[in-house]
Amino acid sequence: MTSVKKDKNLIVIQLSGGNDYLNTVVPHGDGKYYDSRSVVNIPQDSVLDLDGKIGFNPSMKAMKSLWDQGKVAVINGIGYEEPNRSHFRSMDIWHTAEPNAIGREGWLGRVIRDLDPKGENVLTGINFGRGLPRALGCPGVPVASVGDLETYGLFPDLKDEDLRMFTLEAFSRMYGGALGRDPVIDLLSQTGQGALKGADILRTAPEIYQSDVEYATDALSQRVKNISQVLHADLGSRILYTQHGSFDTHSGEIITHAKLWEEVDRAVGCLMDDLQEHGREQDASILIFSEFGRRIRDNGSGSDHGSGGVAFLIGGSVKGGLYGEYPSLSEAEQLEGDLKSNNDFRSTYTDILEDWLDLDAVPITNGTFEKLGLFAS
Amino acid sequence: MSTSMSPSKIGLEYVKTIGIVNNGLNGRGFANPYSILVGKDGRIFVLNRCDPNRAAAIRIGICNIDDEYLGEFGKGSGSGDGQFVWAVCMAMDRSERIYITDEYNHRVTIYDSSGQYISHWGTYGAEKGQINGPAGIAIDSQDNLFLVDQHNSRVQKFSLDGNFIGAWGSFGSGPGEFNLPWGLATDKVGNVYVADWRNDRIQKFSNHGEFVAQFGSSGSGEGQFQRPTGLVIDADGYIYVADWGNERVQVLDSDGKLQIVLKGEATVSKWGEEYFASNPEEKIGRDNSDLVPELPDHLKTAYHISSQTEPYFWGPVGVALDFEGNLYVVETNRHRFQVYRRI
Amino acid sequence: MISKDRSLMAHLLRRTGFGANPDELEAYLEKGYEKAVEEILHPSDPGNMPDDLIRRYHVEQSELRDLAGSAAYWMYRMISTRCPMEEKIALFWHGLFATGYAKLNQARSLLNQVDMFRKKGLGNYETLLLELSQDPAMIVWLDNNENHSDAINENYGRELLELFSMGIGNYSEDDIKECARAFTGWSLGNPEYMAVRASKDSIWPYGRIAWHFKYMEEDHDDGLKTFLGETGKFNGEDIISIIVKQESTANFIATRLFQFFGSDEVTDEGNEVIQSMVDTYFASGYEIRDMLWTLFNSDFFKSDNAMFSRVKNPVEMVVGAIRMAGNYQAPVLGIEQVSNTMLYMGQGLLQPPTVEGWHEGVEWIDSGSLVERINFAAKELSNVNSPGIRSIIERLEVMSGEGTLTPSDLTDQCLDLLGPIKVSDETRNVLVQYAELHGNLDLRGHKLGDQSEQQVGNMLRLVAATKEYQLA
Repeated sequence: MTSVKKDKNLIVIQLSGGNDYLNTVVPHGDGKYYDSRSVVNIPQDSVLDLDGKIGFNPSMKAMKSLWDQGKVAVINGIGYEEPNRSHFRSMDIWHTAEPNAIGREGWLGRVIRDLDPKGENVLTGINFGRGLPRALGCPGVPVASVGDLETYGLFPDLKDEDLRMFTLEAFSRMYGGALGRDPVIDLLSQTGQGALKGADILRTAPEIYQSDVEYATDALSQRVKNISQVLHADLGSRILYTQHGSFDTHSGEIITHAKLWEEVDRAVGCLMDDLQEHGREQDASILIFSEFGRRIRDNGSGSDHGSGGVAFLIGGSVKGGLYGEYPSLSEAEQLEGDLKSNNDFRSTYTDILEDWLDLDAVPITNGTFEKLGLFAS
Repeated sequence: MSTSMSPSKIGLEYVKTIGIVNNGLNGRGFANPYSILVGKDGRIFVLNRCDPNRAAAIRIGICNIDDEYLGEFGKGSGSGDGQFVWAVCMAMDRSERIYITDEYNHRVTIYDSSGQYISHWGTYGAEKGQINGPAGIAIDSQDNLFLVDQHNSRVQKFSLDGNFIGAWGSFGSGPGEFNLPWGLATDKVGNVYVADWRNDRIQKFSNHGEFVAQFGSSGSGEGQFQRPTGLVIDADGYIYVADWGNERVQVLDSDGKLQIVLKGEATVSKWGEEYFASNPEEKIGRDNSDLVPELPDHLKTAYHISSQTEPYFWGPVGVALDFEGNLYVVETNRHRFQVYRRI
Repeated sequence: MISKDRSLMAHLLRRTGFGANPDELEAYLEKGYEKAVEEILHPSDPGNMPDDLIRRYHVEQSELRDLAGSAAYWMYRMISTRCPMEEKIALFWHGLFATGYAKLNQARSLLNQVDMFRKKGLGNYETLLLELSQDPAMIVWLDNNENHSDAINENYGRELLELFSMGIGNYSEDDIKECARAFTGWSLGNPEYMAVRASKDSIWPYGRIAWHFKYMEEDHDDGLKTFLGETGKFNGEDIISIIVKQESTANFIATRLFQFFGSDEVTDEGNEVIQSMVDTYFASGYEIRDMLWTLFNSDFFKSDNAMFSRVKNPVEMVVGAIRMAGNYQAPVLGIEQVSNTMLYMGQGLLQPPTVEGWHEGVEWIDSGSLVERINFAAKELSNVNSPGIRSIIERLEVMSGEGTLTPSDLTDQCLDLLGPIKVSDETRNVLVQYAELHGNLDLRGHKLGDQSEQQVGNMLRLVAATKEYQLA
């Protein structure tokens, strides 16, 4: 396979609901962890150790293997000042990179705009799942939202192929007329044409894609497979987004959290295998984040909204290792019973924007933030 | 708190509240519970109807009076064996098998009390023996199973494994007629009582469906009902009615005379205390609050009052008795049940 | 040829509601335009799906803890009401006085606010602003529970002037401060506990606790204030009295009403209408109803320029298609998926993105949302099992007389029955050509779901996919 310099891709997996940091990267060497988490803890001998003090949740086998290969950056204690423990608000903050006001533009929406200022490729940014996460939203920036790649596009309920073809053809003629009559009608024409073209192009992705990797059948794995199909079809998609959840484990946490991470781990493992198989490991990076971590003390069955979490950056070009500091569990260092974050999430964004996507970070992150050095130069 | 007009012949004293909202997929707590049952050994079974976002977690939770969460069972949402879509009521036979009605799948599903799925029966339709929207369910001492067939406006009588025995009822507001009935119960001698939901009354029938009496009329006054959903009869013939629309429980004697009105007086449950132990800032806020506030006029309906007043019943949809005659009231919108001791 | 009366009535019903199916349209046509306007502006007896039925089957709409069920609860109302004007005016105020779930984590308080809009939204503007200032959702949304006599929080005071009445540039920073001072003490019951629960999205232990207004007299700054040139020991209601007297308030409200009910863009003609609405505002003593009466009876509103001059917002798109198809008339599993569709189109009920509400007009249209809009309407209107579509099929059969319908007639009839919708010649040609693929429509002896009925469904699908269908 010839090695052509490819555009860098960013894949984002959002963990919705507030992933429990303490049970994801477990401070098994710290007695205070077991004191505070008397019920909802990971036994020391189950933890997949990283450095003798902290380790991964036992569900994270593939990620542990990637860690051993130096491809996983663990960003400990990530967050922002004055943490917000409301799902909506905190997720909005991550999405708009704006902790102090209500932002209108998603950071990735701005990225898409910067990558494709004239909006020439409606597939530059794609969300896999229905609706559009705020992170990708930016007025005037087209983003596709793909619920199911196989059926994406107009009239997905039309099963009769011939009928669908006729209908799409009629649609194309209705929307393909001359412009210049009325600005609203013109906008509709252009948008409709663009959507049709985008859908046509996207639907070719599963046909172009070939791979030996077998993805699991659960919903996240299938969405990540769609991400892989689109990425490898070279349609110009640079930002590929999906989310998984719910990580809001207020009760029955051990079982639910383990299962969720099994799914994430499996999907990430398959995706990395796929990238490797196609020789694209150096060209794609995966960001995994959540809107906040959870409380230090458990509530007897699960854990409640906290602050200060963990994020991961995974890829062949990532400089694997531990970043930030693992927050202290001692009473004095706690923030109202929560972990205190020690690095702003916008620093991670800055690494990605400048060192990976080659963009000017400051206008996107609404400020200047010190990089962590997440990418191998 | 028990109140009554003329001196009540029975007394009920609040004991405790058990529950906490569970918005996940498993673990202690309840998720929009719709029915409650107490087994011979004191195990308490709570049917979680669950909202659509958590339908995968439709389950029956088991606990005991000492706040121990003993487990749960269910196979999630759907039409497969052991699954439910709109689970609504439960009954227990003398072998402690649990019968659960599903008003979307139009069937009765049977589990044993250790959580093993056994079987289901019921087909959709309007013919005798067919069901359209089963709701209330009860089993008498002769192993007759009575079922409310809400959209067919009737009560049907089956054997435990679903063989049709008899039916009665039609749509209307006269004696023996029903309008979207919901709960059903039997008494010691086999009479059948129906919470005739949209007629705002209770109807009493013989074991063979002969109309005996009706109690109550529409309203929020004493002895009146607003969409009664469930009921249970004790060994002395007292009738405990979940008066859902009035956010209260009313206790009648066997002649239908009002004895007690309960509004609910929930306190923090043990599971709630565990939550506050790790979330102290909320506890502080709560301790500084008036949990029974004075409300502006436009919010003075029972429903709104209960939505603002945490101790009161909110969505009291089901009632049950244990073998000592203690009363359990399960509240859909508060994810808990309150226990009253018979005194 | 579609009569002018028919087009005009359909236009009125699109603007004051969610459009009308042929039966509804004909009922209104019998009353005549002026009488229809009167009736619409005096809604009574909405006859919507009753609460007890909804709550029995939808536990999540009984508790109203989460967003999805709560939005669906409002949607049921919009679908089943006989007085859609109540819902449109509530939607208008919901967008203007935008209060969002994201900060409150309380759907019930939002629905109570919406209910207030429904009841008071067509009435006196001074009364409405007073109700708004006492609405606990608004109080928390704009932090007025943190507005204390010894520590002023200006958020509500500012937005009241900037976004809810006069508009920027018509008052000074000092006016904002004085306004905020007047509203100190306008809080809610148990404010600290409610605020901490909202900030943490806490539902423990027993679900949500709803909110109610409470005036904290001891926390009110009752000193002298100077606001917009007047001086006195003003409390909130006094400030509101002064605000509603202002020309800028009248202009602001008239403009926003015009843009929502009249036309996305304001032309010179539109400005004249707005001016007459301003006149009505003062002449009527600040009555919204009267202002709308002026708008709906204006020459502009009744002219071709006004028709189809708005892009349907997602609510109009979804609810309009559902009402036409006649679905969801009883509690049904999966309703919250339908209300999520509006969210995917960019307008989530009860969750306006910011205090500025939603930006309407062409901003609704982007490649993602357009696909959602077309797919939803196309799917809804092509289902021949739906009562409204069956009714259309029956009408087409009647129109066929003893024979068949030509492609040209079928096209025109479908455009009429779904609207009437005015389309360009190009669009119409494509529709006719599409109809020609299957030849004349022969509904004689048709059976449920057969080929001839599918032909109708396919035609309706394509009409729903036209550019013109996107417009109201």
